[in-house]
Amino acid sequence: MPAIRLKNVAKRFGKFVAVDNLNLDIESNAFITLLGPSGCGKTTTLRMIAGLETPTEGTITIDEKVVFDADKGINLPPNKRDVGFLFQNYALWPHMTVYQNIAFGLENLKWSRERIRERVDELLKMLKIEQFEKRYPAELSGGQQQRVAIARTLAPGPKVLFMDEPLSNLDAKLRMEMRTELKRLHRDTDSTFVYVTHDQLEAMTLSTKVCIMETGILQQYAPPLEMYNNPANLFVADFMGNPTMNFVDGQLQEDGMLLFGGIRARFASQEKLPAGRRDVVVGIRPEYIHIDPDGALKATVYSTLPSGMETTVKLDMQGMQLTAVVFGDVDYPVDSMVHFSFHKTAVIFDRETGKNIARGSLNV
Amino acid sequence: MNRVQPRGLSFSRARGQARAWLSKPANIILLLFLLSLTLLTLYPLVSMLSETVTIHTGREARAAKEAAGSLSLYHFQRLFATQENDYSWIQFYQPFLNTLIVSIAASVIAILFGGAVAFLVTRTDLKYKKFVSAVFTFPYIMPSWTLALFWETFFKNVNIGLKTSNGIMASVFHVFLPEWFVYGAFPIALVLGLHYAPFAYILIGGILRNMDANLEEAATILKTSRPRIIWRITLPIVKPAMLSTFLLVFASSMSAYSVPVFLGSPVRYYVLSTKMKSLMDSYPGQAYIIVGVMILFGVAILLLNQKVTNSRKQFTTVTGKSGQISKIRLGKANRPVALILVIVLLLVAVLPLITFALESVIIKAGDYSPANMTLDFWIGRDLDQRLDQGDSTGILLNPKVWNALGFSLGLAVTCAVVAGTCGILVGYGVAKRRGSRLASWVNSLSFFPYLMPSLAFGAIYLAMSSRIPWLRGFLLLALVGSVKYLPFASRSGVNAMLQLSGEIEEAALITGVPWWKRMVRVIFPIQKSSFLSGYLLPMVSCMRELSLFVLLVPTSNTILTTMLMQYSEKGWAQFGNAINLLIIVVVLLVNFTVNKLTGASIDKGVGG
Amino acid sequence: MKKILALALALMMTMCCFGAMADVTADVETGETLTHDELVEKAMAETGTFVVYGNTSRIATAAEDFAALYQIPVESNNLKDQEIYTKLRSENGNEAADMVMIQDGAQLTDAIDEGLVVNFVPASVKDALDAGDQQPALVHQYINKLFIYNNRGDAVPAIRNVWELTAPEMKGNVIFKNPESEKVNMNFLVMCTKPEWADKLAEAYKEWKGEEIDLGEYENAGYKWVAEFLDNVTFGKSDTNIAEEISQDTAEGKIGLFVLSKLRSSSVITDNLTVAQYDATANGYEVKPFAGFMYPMYTMINTKATRPYTGMLFVEYLMTQDGFKPWGKSIGAYSPNAEIAVNEGDLTIDLWKNTLVMEDAEYILDSFEVEDFILQHCQN
Repeated sequence: MPAIRLKNVAKRFGKFVAVDNLNLDIESNAFITLLGPSGCGKTTTLRMIAGLETPTEGTITIDEKVVFDADKGINLPPNKRDVGFLFQNYALWPHMTVYQNIAFGLENLKWSRERIRERVDELLKMLKIEQFEKRYPAELSGGQQQRVAIARTLAPGPKVLFMDEPLSNLDAKLRMEMRTELKRLHRDTDSTFVYVTHDQLEAMTLSTKVCIMETGILQQYAPPLEMYNNPANLFVADFMGNPTMNFVDGQLQEDGMLLFGGIRARFASQEKLPAGRRDVVVGIRPEYIHIDPDGALKATVYSTLPSGMETTVKLDMQGMQLTAVVFGDVDYPVDSMVHFSFHKTAVIFDRETGKNIARGSLNV
Repeated sequence: MNRVQPRGLSFSRARGQARAWLSKPANIILLLFLLSLTLLTLYPLVSMLSETVTIHTGREARAAKEAAGSLSLYHFQRLFATQENDYSWIQFYQPFLNTLIVSIAASVIAILFGGAVAFLVTRTDLKYKKFVSAVFTFPYIMPSWTLALFWETFFKNVNIGLKTSNGIMASVFHVFLPEWFVYGAFPIALVLGLHYAPFAYILIGGILRNMDANLEEAATILKTSRPRIIWRITLPIVKPAMLSTFLLVFASSMSAYSVPVFLGSPVRYYVLSTKMKSLMDSYPGQAYIIVGVMILFGVAILLLNQKVTNSRKQFTTVTGKSGQISKIRLGKANRPVALILVIVLLLVAVLPLITFALESVIIKAGDYSPANMTLDFWIGRDLDQRLDQGDSTGILLNPKVWNALGFSLGLAVTCAVVAGTCGILVGYGVAKRRGSRLASWVNSLSFFPYLMPSLAFGAIYLAMSSRIPWLRGFLLLALVGSVKYLPFASRSGVNAMLQLSGEIEEAALITGVPWWKRMVRVIFPIQKSSFLSGYLLPMVSCMRELSLFVLLVPTSNTILTTMLMQYSEKGWAQFGNAINLLIIVVVLLVNFTVNKLTGASIDKGVGG
Repeated sequence: MKKILALALALMMTMCCFGAMADVTADVETGETLTHDELVEKAMAETGTFVVYGNTSRIATAAEDFAALYQIPVESNNLKDQEIYTKLRSENGNEAADMVMIQDGAQLTDAIDEGLVVNFVPASVKDALDAGDQQPALVHQYINKLFIYNNRGDAVPAIRNVWELTAPEMKGNVIFKNPESEKVNMNFLVMCTKPEWADKLAEAYKEWKGEEIDLGEYENAGYKWVAEFLDNVTFGKSDTNIAEEISQDTAEGKIGLFVLSKLRSSSVITDNLTVAQYDATANGYEVKPFAGFMYPMYTMINTKATRPYTGMLFVEYLMTQDGFKPWGKSIGAYSPNAEIAVNEGDLTIDLWKNTLVMEDAEYILDSFEVEDFILQHCQN
């Protein structure tokens, strides 16, 4: 039984549709990421599950308990849903000390003073902020404030934890550090995490499953690597991965041959290809374009972008731009001629609908 | 894609939606305020409008040659289109033009003076800042007409006005100022502008204090000159606050009565409010049309104001992070600028107080020699025997004064508590449901009482109370005061709440903190100083209010201001000045105490 | 918005259904037949705080004395005429005034017609009063506004003829309260245009100029005088202020038309002031055709009074020597009660009645166009 289930959930603000007919099952102990560009409805979705926003349509179930049902008129307030929420701007109460911030919610749950003390100490230790106990939020750095916010959210031990872009206000280094902490925390607390972000790398690295949305509509809901390798459509393919996937317009022939950018290749797939010829978009991940002297294809180097661990090479093949990634620090002179080949997989998309047709390998 | 179509309305669904809607405190608050404000502000408006088409008994019915109580457009025709004896020109058009000139000029003066001081105090390293910001609100604390009185007594001379006596400027400094400086449009606008300049200071200062310094710094790096930065960056940012100030000052100046009477009548300079008051005597229908015109103007500016400030709605500054503001160094100019400011403030804010003190101890007007001075008007006994004037005891020994002071304070505190609390609630509701029609209605309604001239507002409430047996005495005064001053509180409430990120409350909501506890333990403490200012402003205004209460007080000894007015009318100027000083000192004491205890003060008011 | 308006209207309707109080006219009729002791008995049977409004500050003293005499709680409120009328129209029940003291006969006539107030003449003083001072409203006292001038310097405006005030050299030297802000002042100016006074003014003009008046565009001499007088006038804030200002050492050549009783103020330098009529009486001449004007202060019972008999008892009290005391202390107030003597140093009421312009409510009520004419001359 999933921990959270959304059925036909929709949210409209007047004529504007923020979330449209969303169906989502979130398993217990999962770390789910709601991913998408800003304005895609991910935060609204999160807030609807938490009860901070009232959906226009649909039902929401948390832990087998219906917390919202538009038709039956059920709508549990947030505090009855046994959830925690970590806000983008921390939302620490500036007039309370770190200790008071964490303890306030517990006092409200009528915990005894000793128990509160114990729990707060535990959290302070867990998040390594013991020394700040008596400070006010304004006296803490961004990262420290974030830790206090996490401690406060975790304090009552919620079964489900919601996080709304909690790391977006931190610098890159701190963000990396906090990601590690969050993933560890997920394991230690044994609860379900629902996480909102617009950073695909964050989604990839943290989650067990990613839910990607655009303009209020669910695009794909799958484990990150599956999403990476077999994106449901062009939008997902484009959004996941950095540098982004290469997209080349092409044509799929009746005989299973693929024509694109002057290349004629055989597309071998385990999936059944549709009959007839059709216009497609060929999607090739940069790391599957291998630059090696034995490659069958030739292109000129447009520019090289080394970043230490890997090098991004922009290739130009008779006007067709391709991005390749090479492991390690390799420098190719600009305008020099290189050979390359396609490795592993490519995905073809219907050019009209943008939908994934099949995944397969390319043989030139 | 299969979009979900809205399903048919089932009963349980509707009930569920209603329950969900009502489960949000913001909705309940807005609903309650919509209902009560409709009753408390629209009802007076409607009854006032009905007066404009009703023929009243007495002179009106006789002049109109129509039966009393009948409906007619007579008043409109008479006020707007009577050429005989230049009636319309004299009673409406000329005063209307004068009102426009004076109100606009007062607004501009308030914005320039208040805005400039706000800028100097918040964005520069000006010296004597503490003094400046403390003293700056004095003119607002004083009843505006006392400032007018001060102006006249200080600057008058035998060449102008009544041409009978010399004020301090002429008698001591031998400076004989021209008539335009002492009487007419210029001093009226100036006095009103100075009186309301604290609004500009509060509103514009609020924005400047919270403004992100990066905006200015970014321009500095681009080698923009200082004046250009102020002109192109700072000014546009404070524009909404300037417009708000304009609205507040314009509406107040338009309905100001005593200042134009004192400084206008010697040179026959009339404005709408003076015409309104004298018409109210015999031709109430026409008087209410003038009230209507004033309200119409207020509403027009309010709409303009809303249009401009709408884009500001998403403006939040308290998120949980804090930034630093860099102060402009004035360098060599610091001391001269500070000194000039201090002198100006001494002149407009402190000198009147000294004058009141002085006028309260001299026996015969105009004679400032020690032989003519006495403390009798403060602490004397058997005065009616010795001076054949006024009450038998000085004001500090007069139980009537103490009773009135107690009543005034009680009234002011009650109005402040009611208006201030309602203001916070309105602010909460409006901020939570911002953008919804309900919120904008309540927001506008809560501002509406501000646009109603006090005198007419009081008259309508008196008429209203006659039909409600329990609405009497203190209760009536407290209700009127609370409604009339709600705009101050709701403005500061809305602004304070808009600055507060919604997450702050949601963070408490999610752990199950009940609504009242979120308000009391989380929201109020964070925006404490803004909210408390929302209490202080109604209190101050209430303490010195006269025309709103004059018809509603059980006796003229009930509150200090009616007592003050009565003393002045009787010509017991010394008692009047003493009471005036007493009011100011009490208000200052309250402000000072609240400030010391909580850190809030009037000058942190409306804009927060 | 429409809904809100509809809601407000509905509420207004329901509220209008309250009200409608008992009228005390019958009680007043009874009261006029009672002796003092019977009146006291009836008044003592009434309960609650007795409330009075008056357009005179001294009502407070009178009310306190009255309260002490009969051991009843009294509340007095000093208000302007208009405020009193507004309150009479709006208030009812215990808080409303039982009795009022009010000026402006014209408006009072309307108020009686409207049924706001009712006249009461105590049996005990009936015989001591002129008939004209009893009906349509009981006059408690007369108040006069006189031409009073500063007597310092060379150009003392010791006028003997009001036309002197219209001379070009008097421009800016005449001070008067704006007739718009006090009705009795307006009434005085209106009265000047009544043929009776207009004729006297025409006569006075002839005496002054030695030639017949040339009316030009004016309807009669009254209009001409009013227009030219107002053109020379500077408006002061209040009579007190005018009195203070004209009494200044620096106010040479200034003359004002204001309440005589203001001379009692200690803030007024009385030595610098001369009352035109006093000077005339002392030197055996007349100020032509008038030395100022005089208007009554009336006592009235509120028709919605909850303590009508206490109100009547207070009226009776006010008409006695004791009741008049608060006003009788100084000059400028005159009881119509022949038994109450004028203050020392003041002239008799009969003399004033002959030399001052008095209100004629009927004429004033029918002359609202004259007010428009006056307003026109209050402009620059």
